[in-house]
This record gives sequence, C-alpha cells and structure tokens, in this order.
Amino acid sequence: MPIDLRPYFDELERFADGQMSPAEQDAFELRLEQDEALADAHAAYEQLTADLRWAAGHDTLRQRLQALDDRMNERGTALARAQRLTQRRQRRWVVWGTVAALLLLAGVAAWYLARPTLARPTRNWEAYYQPDPGPAVTTGLLHSRPLLAEALDQYQSGHYPAALHSLGRVNSANVGADTLLYLRGLMLLRQGQGNAAQLYLRRVSDDSAGRSGALARRARYHLGMAYWQAQELAPALVTLRAVAADSLSPYRASARRAVAAGVLDGK
Amino acid sequence: MPTPLAETLTQLRIGNQKFLIDFYQHSRHLFARWAQRKHQLTADQAHGLLQDTLLDFYDHVADGRITRMPADLRAYLYGMAQERIAAQVPAHQPLPAAEASRRQRLLAQFNQLSTDCQQVLTYFYFRGYHFEKMGGKMGFPNATVARRQKSTCLRKLYDLVRGGYEPITGEVA
Repeated sequence: MPIDLRPYFDELERFADGQMSPAEQDAFELRLEQDEALADAHAAYEQLTADLRWAAGHDTLRQRLQALDDRMNERGTALARAQRLTQRRQRRWVVWGTVAALLLLAGVAAWYLARPTLARPTRNWEAYYQPDPGPAVTTGLLHSRPLLAEALDQYQSGHYPAALHSLGRVNSANVGADTLLYLRGLMLLRQGQGNAAQLYLRRVSDDSAGRSGALARRARYHLGMAYWQAQELAPALVTLRAVAADSLSPYRASARRAVAAGVLDGK
Repeated sequence: MPTPLAETLTQLRIGNQKFLIDFYQHSRHLFARWAQRKHQLTADQAHGLLQDTLLDFYDHVADGRITRMPADLRAYLYGMAQERIAAQVPAHQPLPAAEASRRQRLLAQFNQLSTDCQQVLTYFYFRGYHFEKMGGKMGFPNATVARRQKSTCLRKLYDLVRGGYEPITGEVA
C-alpha cells in the first residue's frame, strides 16, 4: 500500500459523503489542488471505495444467485417428490383397478355360468318328468296283496332294484297284467333303463283294448319320457305331442311343457 | 435514445442485477442440458458454472471491459462458460484480469467483516442508500448512528487492507 490513508480518513470520508459545509468543502478542494499528499490520499480513497462498490455488488450477486439456486433446487426436489407420489398413487390405482376388474370379471363369469338359462332350456329329461308314485300303500293293500304293497313301498322309497324284484314275485292272477307291465315300466324308467322300460310301457299304451283307458294314457306319457331317456328324440317328440294333444291325459300340461321347450326337435 | 439492451447494461452498472437473476432463473435448466451434452457436467456442476459465468459477466460490465451489450447475449454467455471450461478454471474462482488481484483481495477482506458491516457497506456503496434509509433498514435509531457505523466499518475494512491488524469479525460497535 503506497500511502497510508488513516491520517486523512475523517476528512476524505466527510468530503466524499457530502458531510462538509459549503465553506469546508471549498477549503478542502483548494487544499486538494495544493497538497500533493492529500491528493494522493484522495485518489487512493476513491479507488478503495470504487473497489468496495464492486466487491459489494459482486458479493450481492453471488449471494442472490446462490439463494435462487437453492430455491430452484428445493422446488425441483418438491416437484420430483410430488411426481413420485402421483406416480405411486397411479400405480396403486392401476393395481387395485386391475384386481377389481379381475374380480368383477370372475364374478360376471361365475354368474354367467351359474345363471338359470331361460334362453337355453335344460336338455335333461328329468327336468320335465312328472313321476307317477303309483297306488298308495294302504292297510287293505298290505293284507290283500302284500307283495305288490312291498314292491310299491320300495319303489316309492327309491329302491328300484328291490322293487323290481318284489314285483317279479307278484302273482299276475291277483293283479291285472297291464298294471304289472305299467309298474315294471315305471320302475325301469326310474332306474335309468329307458330302453327296457319302453317294451313294457309300449305294450300298455298300445293295448287295443285299453288304448283309450286311463292307464294307457299314463303309460303313453311315461313311454315318451322313456324314449327321451334313451335319447330317441324323434319317437319321444311324437309320443309326447300325442299326450299334449290328449285333453284327458293327466300329464297333458307336463307333456306340453316338454314339447314347447323345443329340446326334442332340436330348436 | 438508448436501446433496451443498452439500458440493461446501464442498469447493471448502477447495481440493478435483476436482469442477470432473471436470466439464471430462465436458463438454468437449458444451460445444464447443454453442459451435460457438450461437456458431461452434472446438473450441480453446470449450475455452479452458470453462476460463475454470470458473475464474470457482471464484473466485466462493472469494470468497463464490456461497454456494449452483445447482440446474442445467450451465445456470448455460453461462449464465456466454454472458455472457463477450456481454461480449467476451478469453480468460484475469477477469470484472470488486469485488476483482478487487487479487487479479489478486497473481496476476500470484505467477506472477513461481520455480516452487519458487510450489510452497512453494501447499502451505502452498492445500493446507494442515504444514512436515514440505511438506519431504517438496519434498525439504527437515527442517521447519525448510521453514519458512524458506516465509518467504523469502512475503517475496519481499510485496516484489513493495510494488513496491519487481525481479521475483525465482531458485531458492529
């Protein structure tokens, strides 16, 4: 440092800051012209304050840029965090949405498979079959025809092989032949032997003597169902149509329902 | 009649730095992408480089090395940044310049002052506040106190410049 400002500092500062009275200022300016040391000190002071002005400006700008940088970094971090949260939330929604959609799909599929299909009538003959329980087993019957009563009791209890066996032991002299044939046909039909049942039921329904009788009417219906059980759909349809057209048949409504379902004619 | 760009330069010289702050705010992201693509700098390194480049630009304007506003300021600043990288100047160090050493010494000594002293001298010499306004900003009771504080701080800085005293970092007396 070529010159020590300290002896002149007060005066130089008061002059530079405009703190002198006009008279003091005039006198100081006169001395500046005459006193070389004072003029050098003044120049050094001016350089110091100019450098100080630059340093303060530089430092201020540095601090402002740094503060702005920090703020932008914080904002960027906050935005990134918010974006991450949003993405995580979206992913969670996608997962839950997928799970919900799959559950819904499974529910719909389950409902579709399990729903009662009105549009597609069931093809199972048993859904349309109206069984005949046969004559009631009374005390009188037990006494007069014990074997028939036993067979009927077993038939009504669902023991079809035993019922067929018992029925075979019944003396045809005590019971009408048509009745035995009819009952045998019924039992075979319930046992799932539609083909065998057809032989007995056909004989009863075709019996010319009793063709228009009540037993023949009933046998015709069960014959139709026996055809159906044996998957002989064409004779089943013809037979059941005849039953449906017979106003005296006790199975008319059941036969009509089976015919109207369209299962037998392949609709 | 001054053009807007020339007006900007004048504003910079008298201490209005808003233009540079705005530039940093709007260009930081693009500059970082450019620096990453061209020079493989990380985002933090690029931000530091842009800050140093803007400080260089301000210094050039303040000491008269730049007298006319460049027609394409963005290209000019990117060029300055590229020169900085080519010269391998460490971050936060000034570029070599004629008066750099004296001013950089003073800047270092200025930073050794207490925060209040730096604030007082910045208000008076950089912002151009009069004593009354400075007193209001700093919470001094009146303009006379503000003038005394400024005088004291200037003397402390001068003492550091003279190098005859230990660094003074205490509160304003």
